[in-house]
Amino acid sequence: MSLTNFIDSGECVVIIKNLVNTFRNTSLYKGVQKQAHRFEQGALDLLPDATFNKPKTVKMISDIGHDISSAENRLILGVTALMTQPFIDAKNKNVDEETRRVSVCRTIAKIIAGTLTGYAIRKGAIKAIRAWSQLPAPGVSRYRTLFTPKGARSTNTEAYKQYQNAMGTVVALVVMMFTNFIIDAPLTKFLTNLMVKNSGGDKK
Amino acid sequence: MSLASFMEKVPSKIANQWSKFKVHMLKNYGENPGKMLVHTGTLGWILSSLAQVGAVVFNDKISSEQKSFLIPQEIADAAVNIISFYLITNSMKSFGAKLVSTGKLRTKRIRNFLEKNELMGRVGKRDFNIGELDNLGSLADHYKAFKNGVDVVTSTVGSIISCNILTPILRNEYASKRQKKALAHRQEYQMKNIQHPKGISIADYQKLSALKYSTKNPGLRV
Repeated sequence: MSLTNFIDSGECVVIIKNLVNTFRNTSLYKGVQKQAHRFEQGALDLLPDATFNKPKTVKMISDIGHDISSAENRLILGVTALMTQPFIDAKNKNVDEETRRVSVCRTIAKIIAGTLTGYAIRKGAIKAIRAWSQLPAPGVSRYRTLFTPKGARSTNTEAYKQYQNAMGTVVALVVMMFTNFIIDAPLTKFLTNLMVKNSGGDKK
Repeated sequence: MSLASFMEKVPSKIANQWSKFKVHMLKNYGENPGKMLVHTGTLGWILSSLAQVGAVVFNDKISSEQKSFLIPQEIADAAVNIISFYLITNSMKSFGAKLVSTGKLRTKRIRNFLEKNELMGRVGKRDFNIGELDNLGSLADHYKAFKNGVDVVTSTVGSIISCNILTPILRNEYASKRQKKALAHRQEYQMKNIQHPKGISIADYQKLSALKYSTKNPGLRV
C-alpha cells in the first residue's frame, strides 16, 4: 500500500486512536489522572462560592466573551506588557547598568512594534474574513464565499462570528510570519535606537 | 498510483482538505472563544519561534560553529516559551470553565435555577456540569454567554501572567546565565590561544628565552 493510499484509507487515524486508547488504559495514565482530579477537587473546595447579582456585571462579562477577539486580546497583552516588562528588565541586577538601560529600551520598542503590527494585522484579517465568508447567494461572487464553511446557514449567529474571529486570527498569524521580518524587526531597531539616543546614548 | 494521476487529483484533494479545515474550525472554535485564544496564541508562539530559529539558520554572517551552539539554544528558548504559555494559559482557562460549569461561579439566574432544581448540593463537585443538564431551557444561552465571557477573561489573565510576568523573569535569569557562560568560554579560548605580540607562541618564546639565557651563552653574566 502506498503512503497516499494509507493516508486516504484512514488506517493511520485508527492506528493513532488505538495507540491513544492503549496509553489511556495504562495504570500510569490512570494514576496521574486520579491525582489530577483530586488536585482539581481540592482547589474547587478551597474557593468560596460566588454569585454575580448585578445585571450590569453579568452583562459586562458576557460582552467580553462576545466582543473580545484575538486583536483586542493582543492589545490588552501589549498594554499590560508595557506596565510590567520594562520594570522587570530595569530590576535585573544580573547585568550592568548600561546593558540594563539598553535592554529596557529594546523591550519597550519590541512591545510597541509588536502590539501595533499584531493588533492591526489581526483586526484587518478578521475584517477581511468577515467579507469573504458570506453565504452563497445570487450576486455574491465566489471569492466572497472562499472562507464559508460547508453547511453554514446563517452569518448572524455567535458561533459564526467566533469562527470568523478564529479564521481571521489564523490568517493573521500566517501574514505575521512575513511581517515579523518586514515590519517588526526594522521598526523595533528604529525605536530602540531612538530611545537609547534619547536616554543618553550608548556609552559602550 | 502514477505521478500524473496523483497530480490530477491534487486540486480536488486540496479543495477537500480546505473544506474539512473550515468545518473543523467552525465546530471547534465557534462555541469556544477562550479555547480559540489559547490555541491561536500557542500557534503564534510556535510561528514566531520558527522565525527566530530560521533567522539563525539562514544568517550567512553566523559561522557554522556558532550556529551549532545558537540553534539548539533558540530551540530550547522556544520550547520554554511555548510550553509555559500553553500550560499556564490553558490551566487558567480550564479552571475558570470548571468554576462556571460546577456552579462555583454563577449569576443570580443560574443560582435561582440550581435552587429550584435542588442542585445546590452538587455545586463545586468536579463531575457536575451545568451545561450538560437537559432542563436548562431558556437559561442555556445565558449560561453559554456567561461561560464564554469567563473563559475569555481567564485565558487573557493567564496569558498576561505567562507572557508579561513569568516569561520575562525566566528569560532574564536564563539570558544572564548564558551571557556569563559565553564570556567564560571566550576568556578560556583566549587564554588557550594566547600569543606573543609578534606572532610567536608562548612555548616558542620560552624556548627562545631559554636558549638566549642558557649557561652556554657567553652573554649571561652571573
